[in-house]
Amino acid sequence: MSLHLNINGDDRLSVKDPLTPLVDVLRDEFFLTGAKVVCREGFCGACTVLLDGRPVMSCLIPVGLADGCTVRTVESLASVGALSPLQQAMEQHDAVQCGMCFPGMMISLTHFLEHTPNPNRDQLKSALTGNICRCTGYERIIDAALSLAAERSSGVQRDDHGKS
Amino acid sequence: MANPENAVMNLPRRDASDKLQGRTRYTVDRMLPRMLHAAVLRSEVASARILKIDITRARQMPGVRAIALAEDAPGMHGIGIADHPLFASGVIRFHGEQIAAVAADTYQQAQAAARAIEVELEPLPAVLTMADALAPGAPLIHPDWNNYEILFEGAARGGNIAWEATVIRGDTDAAFARDDVVVVESCFRVGRQNHVSLEARAVVASYEDGRYHIETSTQVPWTVRNMTAKLLGVAASRVRVTVPPVGGAFGQKFDCTLEPYAAILARKTGQPVRLVYSRQEEMLTCLCRENADIKIRSAVTSNGEIVGREAVVLMDCGAYGGEQIFLTTMTAHTLGGNYRLGSVKLASRAIYTNTAPNGAFRACNGVYNTFALECHTDEICQAIGMDPLEFKRLNVLGDGDLGATGQVFEGDVLGPMLERMARLREASPDKKHLAGERLYGRATVVGTWFIFVGPSTATINLNPDGSATLVTAGVELGQGTMVQALPQIVAHELGIHPDQVIVRSADTDAAGFDLGVGGGRTTVSVGAASRAAATDVRNKILTVASELLQTPPEKLVLRNGRIEIATIAGSGMTIAQVVQRAHAVIGPVVGSGSFTNPGVTAMSGCAAGHFIDAIDIPVFNVHDCEVAVDKETGHVEVLSYKVVQDVGRALNPRAIYGQIQGGVTQGLGYALHEELTIGQDGCIRQNSLETYRVPLALDTVPVEIDLYEGAPSIGPLGVKGAGEVPIMNPPAAIACAVANATGLRIQQMPLTPPRVLGLLMGNESVVELPHIADNWWDNVLMNPAHR
Repeated sequence: MSLHLNINGDDRLSVKDPLTPLVDVLRDEFFLTGAKVVCREGFCGACTVLLDGRPVMSCLIPVGLADGCTVRTVESLASVGALSPLQQAMEQHDAVQCGMCFPGMMISLTHFLEHTPNPNRDQLKSALTGNICRCTGYERIIDAALSLAAERSSGVQRDDHGKS
Repeated sequence: MANPENAVMNLPRRDASDKLQGRTRYTVDRMLPRMLHAAVLRSEVASARILKIDITRARQMPGVRAIALAEDAPGMHGIGIADHPLFASGVIRFHGEQIAAVAADTYQQAQAAARAIEVELEPLPAVLTMADALAPGAPLIHPDWNNYEILFEGAARGGNIAWEATVIRGDTDAAFARDDVVVVESCFRVGRQNHVSLEARAVVASYEDGRYHIETSTQVPWTVRNMTAKLLGVAASRVRVTVPPVGGAFGQKFDCTLEPYAAILARKTGQPVRLVYSRQEEMLTCLCRENADIKIRSAVTSNGEIVGREAVVLMDCGAYGGEQIFLTTMTAHTLGGNYRLGSVKLASRAIYTNTAPNGAFRACNGVYNTFALECHTDEICQAIGMDPLEFKRLNVLGDGDLGATGQVFEGDVLGPMLERMARLREASPDKKHLAGERLYGRATVVGTWFIFVGPSTATINLNPDGSATLVTAGVELGQGTMVQALPQIVAHELGIHPDQVIVRSADTDAAGFDLGVGGGRTTVSVGAASRAAATDVRNKILTVASELLQTPPEKLVLRNGRIEIATIAGSGMTIAQVVQRAHAVIGPVVGSGSFTNPGVTAMSGCAAGHFIDAIDIPVFNVHDCEVAVDKETGHVEVLSYKVVQDVGRALNPRAIYGQIQGGVTQGLGYALHEELTIGQDGCIRQNSLETYRVPLALDTVPVEIDLYEGAPSIGPLGVKGAGEVPIMNPPAAIACAVANATGLRIQQMPLTPPRVLGLLMGNESVVELPHIADNWWDNVLMNPAHR
């Protein structure tokens, strides 16, 4: 029996055991290694993906439960080689260090900013509590996300293709 | 010579875009055709004799391709002393020790087969604490220690004492006997800190053309090469190590650990083998910052002069010596740092216990030694009735002062840095109002680290398109050196943009020896070697250009990708054209550079058992924080945090700010909630991120930063390593601020709510450390008569 998933817009069939964690299907079967396996217990958030639009820890989702669902991973955030506005803000703020947490962070924040376009600092920090970063001390990630939100609310549009 | 200021810029990271898109391929993301997966069988007891290992059943399990055992790795490794076999051989010395490794088609199959290996054990008594290890008649964890190969001479060892480093300068007995001094004694105890690198230790090994190829997540490619060869009993030239981008390390990956297992299995199967430790394995066997017991005594005059200091630091190295052997050296420069001392005796000992081995962690014992030193300093100030800031201004090391081992400090740095912190404090109003009903406290603390530079080398190929390819064994862990500082240094020397400097990832077949990425040495040492290689290249093309332009080399400059006559902007020709011309006259342009520093020597007879005599590059910190302590819950909130850091020259200020914010946050985790403890069975209790609490986004505060530039440094363009030290002072700052807020004596970290509440309610027991004797000489193997 195979499982049907729509991953980043493509219809895919998984032949893995339905109990296989979604993150392993993404990484080992479809070679989407953006989502990281860090703790396998749902504490670190490095494997966060959007499942039918909801952020989930893909280490805790048996792929059988994702049958018929859409999955969006970090690999889909940039389009035709151009970073998303959130990714651009991170790059411009020099927020990245080792980078292992960023795939999960980008998914969590992309989803959060879509639903909370005008967050304050505390709301942003709360939104990130499920994503552990060991390098940066978070503040610059928050600064970058806030600057993007401020840009958007002041009407400066940054499109998905890297041009302001 | 171009103005070093021109090298300063906030160069963005070239690896950020791929990291943000999830495209970066860390070691954990590597896949190769026919790749097998490995799992390790570990001991579930802390101490036992191995009677029998039977792999018959495991060998027949589905998917199993090979099993590696002790006989596959005859060598022993270590630092200073070769005490560590790859697999437990004969005896088990810690809970989690490796017994066998299995390669199979899938990880699940490898795990199942590892579990199916039959091991028969005879229990032995376990020594789980340093107090027990030092007790008379304690079982010896290494009964054969006397037969081990010594890799570094000069230290005292014996019993369960793996290593002893001492400092003796001046006459402390006379100082303590003076009738005009107050004697203050303090005891401290700290737990272990886990790095929690998000990328676990990971390796993919292959066996190709009779050589091992190891792709690994490491800070030390050359150590992995040499240690793997030593353990496997093969020539080091038969091991090649390459390093993909590393997903965090913080010192955890400053040693060879899991690489040899994968290497053996790759040779046995002829297939690539992937071994990645699970988070649980990382929690239980991670080479933590060690737990430590510290006793300090000082003799201080009523006007604040420290005439004598004696201290003993016991560092738990776990079942094998590892990095702690080397790190005993650091006590002299961290606990023995910061202040002028009239006379001093320091003993720093690595103690064997039947627990998981410890290792290096960012600023190593400097973090808890600074915590102890600054808490002790505040206790001194209380005893003599002096304001701590005044005491610090009076006593911090300055130009011409002697360090603990008698080395002479150059330049007044800590004093002016304290003034800069005073100005930073004045510039922003205090946050006392945020404390509300809670207890409010504040502290300013100082810290001393030193960079051991060690050997590095670099090669640069100057390409016919005008770009330069830099080849080193440096590794990018996230700290930015390989993507920011190094290209900036090389570009500055060659008059090109840093984007035109291609940085080769580490490959021991391509780059020469390097000590590794750690301790704040990379920008300094790899940077200096890279700069020397760039100078070499520069001189070669200047010679060629001189002929082409009919101008002496000293009248030419390299700028904007061109070689120009200095006085005429836009004259001359592009570097690319010169290189193309060089191809015809001298051949392709390649340069090389090497760097090391013999080190500053200690005062004769002053230091024993030290790997390094004295300071190559001191790095100073001044941190300040405000806290609010909740009397009802014991919760400590950090209200503000300020840092003045000695950076020599800030080549990329924005990148340094990022390192400081991140390092301070790790330090706050250690100060407030990160701790590993060991259960009665010798197993570390915190086996996941559920029970080991690292700082989350809501726990952090924005750090206010002032970079102190201009202190003397032998680093290229005057730089000092900036990433190592931000973690040094937060535990000291928090502890002193909490002590000020509550009036309590702080002796332990982390200051978790239960511990602080216990202190507030008087329920917390006093740390007394009876296993550290009052007479300093009773704590050392060295005999006073033999000095």
